[in-house]
Amino acid sequence: MLDPVVVRDAVIFSSLLALLSAGLTLTYMTTKVPNFAHGSYATVGIYVVFAITQLLDVSPYLGVPAAAAAGALASLSMYLLVIRPLMRRGSSIVALMISTLAFDLILIALLNIFADVLAEEFKLHSRGFALRSLDFRAFGHPGLFLVAPITLIVVVTALHLLLTKTKFGVAMRAAIENPGLASVVGINVDLVYAVSWLLAGALAGLAGALMSLWCYVGDTQVGSNELPSVFAASILGGLSSVYGAVAGGLIMGVAEVLGTAALAHVLGTWVAPYRPLIPLAVMSVMLLIAPQGIAGLWPSAPVVRRRGSAR
Amino acid sequence: MAPPVNLSFFVDLFAIYAIMLVVTLSLNLEFGYAGVPNFGKVLAVAGGAYVVGYLPGRLAVALLNVGSGMEYTAQSWKIVNEANGILANDPALSLALFGLTLLVAALVGAALGYFASYPAIRLREDYLAMTLLAMGEGIRIVGENYTPLVGGQLPVAVPDPLRWVGDRYLAVTIVLAVFAVLTLAYLELLLRSPLGRTLRAMRDSEDAAKALGKDVVKLRMKVLVVGSAIGAVGGALHAFYLVSVYSSAYERVTWTFWPWAMVVLGGAANNLGVALGVLALVGLRKVITISKWALAPHLPFDPVWLDPLLTGVLVILMLLFRPAGLIPEKPTKTIKMERPLKAAS
Repeated sequence: MLDPVVVRDAVIFSSLLALLSAGLTLTYMTTKVPNFAHGSYATVGIYVVFAITQLLDVSPYLGVPAAAAAGALASLSMYLLVIRPLMRRGSSIVALMISTLAFDLILIALLNIFADVLAEEFKLHSRGFALRSLDFRAFGHPGLFLVAPITLIVVVTALHLLLTKTKFGVAMRAAIENPGLASVVGINVDLVYAVSWLLAGALAGLAGALMSLWCYVGDTQVGSNELPSVFAASILGGLSSVYGAVAGGLIMGVAEVLGTAALAHVLGTWVAPYRPLIPLAVMSVMLLIAPQGIAGLWPSAPVVRRRGSAR
Repeated sequence: MAPPVNLSFFVDLFAIYAIMLVVTLSLNLEFGYAGVPNFGKVLAVAGGAYVVGYLPGRLAVALLNVGSGMEYTAQSWKIVNEANGILANDPALSLALFGLTLLVAALVGAALGYFASYPAIRLREDYLAMTLLAMGEGIRIVGENYTPLVGGQLPVAVPDPLRWVGDRYLAVTIVLAVFAVLTLAYLELLLRSPLGRTLRAMRDSEDAAKALGKDVVKLRMKVLVVGSAIGAVGGALHAFYLVSVYSSAYERVTWTFWPWAMVVLGGAANNLGVALGVLALVGLRKVITISKWALAPHLPFDPVWLDPLLTGVLVILMLLFRPAGLIPEKPTKTIKMERPLKAAS
């Protein structure tokens, strides 16, 4: 049952899910709104890598910086054009959530337009593509097997250093914990929020770039299809700490892949397409027994812990 | 080539309007009145549609002795063809089939609303929204992959309970209009009742409502159950209108996001506003669909993408500049002052 292919898929998927969950949790911690457009930032990354590999004929890994930048741009523009103005008008959290849904729709429409233009003007097969064959191979496995977890470790380390060792990072933590007080001592809370959205978008774009090497059918829905998994991972992590989010993403990813493999082993391969039901089940159970998630379970977290989510 | 604008166009426009109105009104009950953000509206709608995809066909096989020995989803078109032949001559049976299926759809919707909201009903709104959205995705996964339900990746045929009328356009228009009016009437009465005031009190200040002894969690659950039942009826009507069910058609853009866009546009918590919002967006979509013919040659992309693009932009603009909607909610009417004054003196 511990088929090397299954283990490899689990490692890759959970690393990517951890990256996505970290970004979602970061924007949630700062602006208190679950971003339903987060999955589409990853799709932006996928399409940037696709365009770069097909138009410039280079390795997909060279497209990663551009993908991260594109994701960051998408996220920052949503913050500046939608979230910040709504927050300044005192909009309710539901209004903010609807706005993220609306922005997701806009992003997907723009991605589809991009895909159409790529197909029309450049004659590229911009829907239903697979870039897996462009990955390098190492020790008989796709390079992503090494790159994904290493990227995650590097990103988490960098975030940790940012949040604890730099002045701006400490200011970020202060602004997350108590925005009013932080602005009183002179921290530019708006800048902190903007940077956190930028970072979240960059993380998602990065995850998307890597995802393009892993998914079998690349289209404009790939990112938003993962959204239930990302939410489940973030809720598991507790929505109150980036490290919790990473842990939640890893656990959720492993549970999904190994869980499906185990069920397929016991019940038959017909269970495979029902894999998205696993995060739903985990999410429901978590909300019933421990809505604070993992981050709420350990007594002291190096990053801020908010008061529990139950009413 | 001129766009096709004739009687079938208007009947279709009205049908979509009526169905969307039923679904959006149910969302208005949940969010507009009670403040429950149901981001998983598609769950109930899909549930109702899947009941229609499953039940009437199986009943036809069992009762009308058609399609014996055939596997239903593989041969549904053939089976339904035979069944329609019988139903066309039996109005009583057709109506019974229709009514029973709608009832089951409503019950299934209510059950789905209950179980989907259960994990998060006590938690903050954002948790509830995330959970419901995820559950909405879940039902589609089941529908797309469990072929015996509604055919999996292929559409499945539905027996036509209105064939006996002869003029299908007339029958469809009347039936859908009746359901739209019934839903509107029910919700208007609800709005003006003490329960309606309680829901709005809960929405506006949960702590105050709790202090006055209202069981907020139970109310929220009830609202989601009733809202899901109505949403399922909307989905069932859609399936009967199309006389077919395609599992992937019940996705979150059309059946969760659009109703939200219509509520935001028209104005939450007032049904006239919602009716207007539905009209505006259904009309907008039709305009875009028609102007596709004109625009397509000039654009390097498929104009169909303008639809979600413009809708998304419109919703964001409404939220920024007119969050109360086109028709804002009127202040709640309370009982007249004379009664308590008379009682006090």
